[in-house]
Formats: sequence, structure tokens, C-alpha cells
Amino acid sequence: MSKKQSRMTKQANAQRAAERAAAVRREQEKDRRRRTVLVGAVAIGVLALIVGTFAFVQSVRDSAGEGAGQVAGAPDGAVDEYAVSLVAEGAAGAASVTVEVYEDFMCPVCGQFEADAGDTLREYAESGDVQVRYRPISFLDRASNGTEYSTRSMNAVGVVLDENGPEAALELHDALFANQPAENTDGLSDEELIELAVEAGADRAAVTQPIEDVKFERWVDDATAASQNEGVGGTPTVVVNGEKLEDNSVEALTAAVERAREE
Amino acid sequence: MSRDPANGPPGATTKVRPPVGRAIGPWLGVAARMVLGGVWLVAGLLKVPDPAESVRAVRAYQLLPESIVPTVGYVLPVLEIVLGICLLLGLLTRAGAVLSSLLLAAFVIAIAAAWARGLEIECGCFGGGGGADAGASATYAWEIARDVVLLGLSVWLVWRPRTPWAVDNRLLLEETV
Repeated sequence: MSKKQSRMTKQANAQRAAERAAAVRREQEKDRRRRTVLVGAVAIGVLALIVGTFAFVQSVRDSAGEGAGQVAGAPDGAVDEYAVSLVAEGAAGAASVTVEVYEDFMCPVCGQFEADAGDTLREYAESGDVQVRYRPISFLDRASNGTEYSTRSMNAVGVVLDENGPEAALELHDALFANQPAENTDGLSDEELIELAVEAGADRAAVTQPIEDVKFERWVDDATAASQNEGVGGTPTVVVNGEKLEDNSVEALTAAVERAREE
Repeated sequence: MSRDPANGPPGATTKVRPPVGRAIGPWLGVAARMVLGGVWLVAGLLKVPDPAESVRAVRAYQLLPESIVPTVGYVLPVLEIVLGICLLLGLLTRAGAVLSSLLLAAFVIAIAAAWARGLEIECGCFGGGGGADAGASATYAWEIARDVVLLGLSVWLVWRPRTPWAVDNRLLLEETV
């Protein structure tokens, strides 16, 4: 009898001890969990602070629309700040159709578009009822081995536009596509750009410095930013009376212009 | 400190793992961390030098409202670098893997959306971006495939965040973060 009782007591004691041990372990478990969550939360907080700080640094470094120290505004002769018009503004007053062409001088598809549709656009401009505007932009700077050809070439057009007006600027525009460098090459050198500008009718002494100094860098940046706000996702983008062409073939262009003429 | 099932409280933290998972799981996890961490780090480093370009790349997808496009363009490269470093170090692996999964899922959706809408833009995945790219459609499929593979690795790490050679092993006592 006493033997049995003592066995039961022992069993009960052992059980109680096991429960106590389990409780201690549970408590330890909880502590470990708490510590992990705390350490994790602190680490996440610190990392979030780091990300936030550097993201802010990025926003300060973003020069789009500010022009990295350049103070020159739009070139004289630019239409609506960023456009190079194919006809003098006065004559275009009567035009019922507006064709806007966004191009990057490094973009091979733009070169192809110019080769295909350049003559058609000029005929339109001469006919007087279609206003053709080139909107050069610069977003392929990385495709010229660090020489930022898109910006340099567009700046050169801005310089000539500023010095000599739209006709010479369009000459240079055409020459840049006629002599278009392949993507991912250095592009034309500043000297070559100056040469083409002179051939387009510019005065060498007047354009050399502004081309070398990228005088209109701010204009280039602003024009590019503006084009994106206007929904341009790439080049060439052709817009006829506010409507973006889905397909940049000559047929699609003439069809869109015919439709716009009839409206 | 022992995580041996024999000593741990029954059913609390240690689970009996399938033999395959126990054998190669941790090393698959290390490999996943290295691949993902490397990819994120490189992707971020390539984007950091040109914040304007990064913003343009985000804008080109035409998915986000213009009001938050610049913020995303500024945050993303930095976030990618920090995420990459965390994964390489094995710091907060599970949280990092969750973030990695969410980002990759978002990228897959963004690329698929660009594809479906016929946008011909550059991915902007590793710098660049924002521009048209006439051949872009052809690369969308491969970009999505790549992101799906990376997404798979991320999900694995969410499931099995504890791996050898990780700061987490010293810093954290539990497998929760």
C-alpha cells in the first residue's frame, strides 16, 4: 500500500517537474522569439532609413529639367520651346494639320523613318496646309560609349537653330541622319558635328564653342522630359493632329494626314 | 541553442524536415542568396549613376501615375542595392526574400503589360531604359522567363530562409524574420 502510494507520488512529482521544465522552455522560446523580432525590426528600420536617405540623394542628383549648371534657355528659332518647324511660323499659320515627329539622332529606326518619309514630310511642308515639326529628344545617350552622342547632336541642332534659324537647323538635322553613326559607337565627334553645322550654313567661329560646351544641354534635358510627359515612350513617335501613329510607315503617315485634312 | 529536434520543445520551432530538404536545401538556399543578391546588386549599381534615366525607365512602362513615378525611380535602385547586399550577407533573409518576390512579381506584371499593350520599350532592368527599342517585343519573353526563375529562387528563400554562411545565424535566434 505504502509502496504503491510512493510510486504514485513519484509519478506525480516527475510529471510536475516535467511540466515546470516545459513551462521554462516555453518561456525561453518566447524570449528568443521576442529577441528575434526586435532585432529584425531594428535592422529593418535601419535599412529603411538607409534606403530613404540614398533615395533622397538620388532625387537631388537628378538633373532632368534643371540642366546641370547650364543656364541657356531654348535656342532662338525654336517653336514652342522644343520644336524645329519645317516651315516659317508665319506661313504655317494657315495649316490645318500638324505633324510632330519625335526623334533621337542615335536611333536607327529614326534614320530609317527619315529615309522613308523625309521627302513626304517636306512635300507636306511646302504644300502649306501641313505644319511639320521636328521634336528632337535625347534618350539614347548610353548608346554611344559614354560620349552622350544623343545630347551632343541635339545640342548642335540647337546651336545652329539659335545662330542661323530653322532652315540651317533642318539642313543639319538631315545631315545628321544622312551620316548617322551606328548605335553603340562613339557617334560623330564634336569636330565632325561642327563640320556638318558649317556645311549646313553655320559660321564656324560662332558654333564651335557652344557645340563643344554643350550650351543647350538644359534645353535638351527639358525637351526630353517634356516629350515623356507628352506620352512619348520611344522614337520615332509621329503624332498627327494629336494622334500618335501606331505604325510609322509612309502609308500610315499619308493616310493619317489625309484623314486629318478631311476633318 | 541546439536546434536538434530531440532537445527542442515538441512541435514548437523545429520541424521534421524531408530528407532531401535537409541534405541539399541549405546549400540551394546559399546558391539562391548568391544569385539573387548578385543580380539585385548589379541591377541597382547600374541604375544608380543616372537617376533621371531611372525615372524615365519607370515612366516608359506607363503604369504608374506621374505623381509617384519619380519617387519610384529614385527608390528602386537604392532598394535593389540594399536588398542585394542583405541577400549576399544573409541578413534578414526571409524579409529580403519576401521583398525580392514582390518586386519580381511586379516586374513580371510590368513587362507583360508593356508586351500586351504593344509598347516597344527597353526593359530598364539593368540600367538604361525609357527608350523605344524596335526589337523589344522579342526580348520580353526572355526577360519574363528570367524574372520567373529569380522569383522561384526568392520564394524558396521565403520558405527556407535559414542557410549556412548567413549573418542571420548569429543575429537571429528564430526563423521568423
